[in-house]
Amino acid sequence: MSLILRKLARDVPAVIGLTIVIVVLIIAVLGPLLAPYPEDIAASHLMRRLKPPSWAYPFGTDNLGRDILSRVIMGARGALMVAMTVVSIAMAIGVPLGLIAGYRGGWLSEVIMRVTDAVLAIPQLVLALALAQLLTPSLESAMLALSLTYWPFFTRIVFAETRRLTSSLFVDALRGIGAGTARIVFLHILPNAASPIIVRATIGLGFTILVAAVLGFLGMGATPPAPDWGLSIAESRTYLPAAWWYATFPGLAILLTVMGFNLLGDGLRDLVDPRLRRSR
Amino acid sequence: MLGFIARRCGLALPSLFGLLVVTFILVRVVPHDSAAAMAGDAATPEQIAKLTKEAGLDRPIVEQFVLYVGKVARFDFGESAFSRREVSLDIMERLPATLTLTFCALAISITIGIPLGVFAALRHNQWPDYVLRIVSVLGVAVAAFWFAIMLQLLFSMQLGWLPLRGELSATMSRPERVTGFLLFDSVITGRWDALRDALHHIVLPAFTLSLGGLASIVRFTRAGVLDTLQNDFVSYGRAMGYRRSRLVWRYVLRNSVTATITQIGLLFGGLIAGGVVVESIYDYPGICSYTVQAILTGDNQVMLAVTLMVGVVYAAVNILTDLVHGLVDPRLLDKP
Amino acid sequence: MSAPLKLGRRSLGGIATAAMLAPGRTTLAADPSTYVSGWALPFNLDPHQVFDVPMQGVMLNAYDGLYRYQNDPPEIVPWLAESHTVSEDGLVWEFKLRSGVKFHDGSEMTAEDVVYSFRRVLALALAPAGAFLPILTQDRITAPSKMVVRFELKVPYAPFFSAIPIVSIVNPRVIQANEKNGDWAKSWLASNGAGSGAYKIIPTNYRPLELLDMEINPDHFLGWSHNPKPVKRIAYRPVKETSTRVLALLNGSIDCTDTNLPGDQVERINASKVAYVQKDVVMRIFIIRMNNTKPPFNNLNARKAFAHAFNYSGFINDILGGYATRDPYPMPDNLWGIPKDAKGYDYDLKKAKEYMAKAIAEGAPMKRPFEIHVQSDNDQALQSGQLFQSDLAQIGINLKVVGGVWGNMTANTKTPETTPDMWVHWVSTYFVDPENWVGQMYDSQFHGTWKASCYYKNAEVDGLLRKARSSLTQEVRAPLYEQAIRQIMADSPDIWVYNSMQLQGLNKRIKGRKFCTVGQGSEMRTVSLET
Repeated sequence: MSLILRKLARDVPAVIGLTIVIVVLIIAVLGPLLAPYPEDIAASHLMRRLKPPSWAYPFGTDNLGRDILSRVIMGARGALMVAMTVVSIAMAIGVPLGLIAGYRGGWLSEVIMRVTDAVLAIPQLVLALALAQLLTPSLESAMLALSLTYWPFFTRIVFAETRRLTSSLFVDALRGIGAGTARIVFLHILPNAASPIIVRATIGLGFTILVAAVLGFLGMGATPPAPDWGLSIAESRTYLPAAWWYATFPGLAILLTVMGFNLLGDGLRDLVDPRLRRSR
Repeated sequence: MLGFIARRCGLALPSLFGLLVVTFILVRVVPHDSAAAMAGDAATPEQIAKLTKEAGLDRPIVEQFVLYVGKVARFDFGESAFSRREVSLDIMERLPATLTLTFCALAISITIGIPLGVFAALRHNQWPDYVLRIVSVLGVAVAAFWFAIMLQLLFSMQLGWLPLRGELSATMSRPERVTGFLLFDSVITGRWDALRDALHHIVLPAFTLSLGGLASIVRFTRAGVLDTLQNDFVSYGRAMGYRRSRLVWRYVLRNSVTATITQIGLLFGGLIAGGVVVESIYDYPGICSYTVQAILTGDNQVMLAVTLMVGVVYAAVNILTDLVHGLVDPRLLDKP
Repeated sequence: MSAPLKLGRRSLGGIATAAMLAPGRTTLAADPSTYVSGWALPFNLDPHQVFDVPMQGVMLNAYDGLYRYQNDPPEIVPWLAESHTVSEDGLVWEFKLRSGVKFHDGSEMTAEDVVYSFRRVLALALAPAGAFLPILTQDRITAPSKMVVRFELKVPYAPFFSAIPIVSIVNPRVIQANEKNGDWAKSWLASNGAGSGAYKIIPTNYRPLELLDMEINPDHFLGWSHNPKPVKRIAYRPVKETSTRVLALLNGSIDCTDTNLPGDQVERINASKVAYVQKDVVMRIFIIRMNNTKPPFNNLNARKAFAHAFNYSGFINDILGGYATRDPYPMPDNLWGIPKDAKGYDYDLKKAKEYMAKAIAEGAPMKRPFEIHVQSDNDQALQSGQLFQSDLAQIGINLKVVGGVWGNMTANTKTPETTPDMWVHWVSTYFVDPENWVGQMYDSQFHGTWKASCYYKNAEVDGLLRKARSSLTQEVRAPLYEQAIRQIMADSPDIWVYNSMQLQGLNKRIKGRKFCTVGQGSEMRTVSLET
């Protein structure tokens, strides 16, 4: 473990990614304490609308006179919550299905993998949009829609890993000494499949934040007055390019957060990918 | 080879059928009164009942599904509830624009992405590698909508080099329809003015759309080259005194590019998602903006047709990439 | 190690060359004969199926009606009809047609064509039929002679004449040729034209919601002597994003924007060399509907609490930049039938709290979470919701803003159960008569239509509105409407906010634009483009 950490520490982009992720996590946890005007989630101050950045309002104010810095800070919690919920649900669905399909084989495996392919056969955003609209647009629908469209990625990975491991010698050996299915799957196969799952989940967190922002941007995700980053960008459209600060700071927040997760995920992948491991 | 294509198409069919089942159930089961939406503002309850009957929405869902599949097999997707046009006609008109845009974006991603990826790999764990990795991730993470507006401000408003929006200038007449692809039609009919105008219009949207793919291709290529560099033949070649650049560009790249090609199929989903934003900001009249419109208005016939269509294109792209992959590495064609 | 750089440079160079190909400013719509509109298109092109603001652009240019609204303030003037007569009891209306009017296919318009058009509207029974369905059936429309059309109403209906311009006269010969199993060519006309208007639809170029081209009709019955340099071609190129639309106006690639320009963009457009913002007072009211059947909205004090909690002046002056006037009545304040002495509700959170306390004492569930539905593609509606939300939060009411699409939102109002707690919309001028506003909004016989979506029911008001509808002269009707409005305002079923000023960005080369609140300035007959 410490060896992995030491290797990760030598990978500059991964360290940058990790730092960003930690900072975003801290901001999300301490949000209301850090935000200069935490009440600006719902309040409106028409007298100071669309003010450019100043000492009092470092990121400027929005169309209802709310402090954008506060809203960007308060938005971190929502973004992370959405991303983590979506990835957890997707994992909860996708990983067991992958294990079953990979270990069992036969018609059950065939059915699971066909459904997986069917869901993967359509770009995630299109399916998520359709689902979110059919479930009536709200943050909950968006989260559900994203979860229901993200699980196949986990199923694919776990299926491939399980297949590989099931036919490997050590599983045969385990069977030979009479180990039970549950024991083999949970104690031996799952831990071995863990690293690709973690990599996928890390990248998935960034990806989900981005897709959720697009959904919010299209009016199918978070609803006002949530300080959602995508929603803020959507609201800012009308005031561009004059009120440049309105779109820029939520945009940068998305950019940095997604970048953090992606760099960290890439770094982890370089670490755990056995083919690349040799090159270090 | 033909056998390979047939086999792959055969494999894709059950997936597409599954997709049709999933979307059909979603559209029909989720409570949403499409007949009421169709009838419009002033409709009476009797009228909604009449439309429900006309559209066959009162019959059992299995029957509706069988009927629908029968129609789809004849390429009849029904009529849009709002524009009252044949959905298949709308698709035929809009798909070419999206395919052209996607292809151009992909071409930009590849021509820039592969060299950068190789460069990053050769400078593995040195600062050019770090910078490229961070920049390429930026490409994925930047909000395309915001970036698009910045491009519009710079190139259309400030410099005045490129048009702001659309597929063709409003004052430019469209070349006669032959293939449906605006660029090809301009060439076939010899309308060089239209070709020039259309090319100008595609630059900004294609560039915006290429960012996501660009980043991924840099990453795949980097990984592929790193992988190949570990092979014995590289060490052997080095020992034989080949120059490193020659070795890389002639031998390593060919071996590692195959990995990148397979990944291009996966990029396609991202391109469609990006197309949603790009088409709406640049008013590019493609299938993505059509899809969003249909989803937002709850135009069920269109929603069903478009998801299926996108699925078909997606499957086709995947088969195509496998085929290209196979041509580069013929051993793959024989695998089941 | 120059190899990778070499290839990189080459490909980057390619891109740069592509960009260089473009000489400066190639994209301006500098063509002096083509007018490029960046305004929205209707869902389809059939004026008997769709009836909304974007449709006006198609209707007023490609079609003609028997009468038409012109000028500002609006006057109803003879158009395809020369004159009309009405029987004393107000039941029989006869319109004498102008002779020599030709449809776009060259055939001459007769009374039979007018009869066909009105029958088609009734048969399709879609949006434009609303005003006619209660008073007409197909057999009550006849052609006693080649140039006379007769309508025999079931009951006297004063607004009938005001609603006549709604119906576009279509050419039955081309429509019938494209009918499929008795569908009145509903599918065909949705992407084709069959009118006699000043401009002809070019169907081959049409793409729903994306592209529409029309070319001049040199044989229009009014001729072109009033406009020596008319626009030869109208190109509709709807721009979806507000910010892009403004940019397109500023760089000259479109000639006009929509009419809902955000107040914040006005200064910027006015500062430019190519465009300006045209302000016109229109008859279009902005209201927040309350679903009077859902508790606590069935409680008068609860409704008054909400009516006092909306920051009218803040919304109008700060958010809209003063480009609207406060209108406390359920009707445009520049129309007749307004009781000028009636007092509206003001923004006063103290009063709101008092009414809220009273409502709670009467058992109204004021603490439940509320929803307000707004059009998600409309910033103004969204902002009104957000503003309301923040003020209500101050008095302890929790409001959720839910975005939606117009078509679905109106479909939701079909029953009281599916109608949201509150929703936001405008009522534009479809025809100039109090019937267009209070008549259709507060008479309980219209429950189930979006205009009556507050589900307000007051027998006295019903009686007054029905009496006003069947009386024929304005002198009789005006006091009836005034009395009804006083009662409606006392009951506070909705929150009336403002009467609009419309803001439209226009290119400076546009000359001769004649504004009328019906159609909101989309008629192109008088427009010419300066070079």
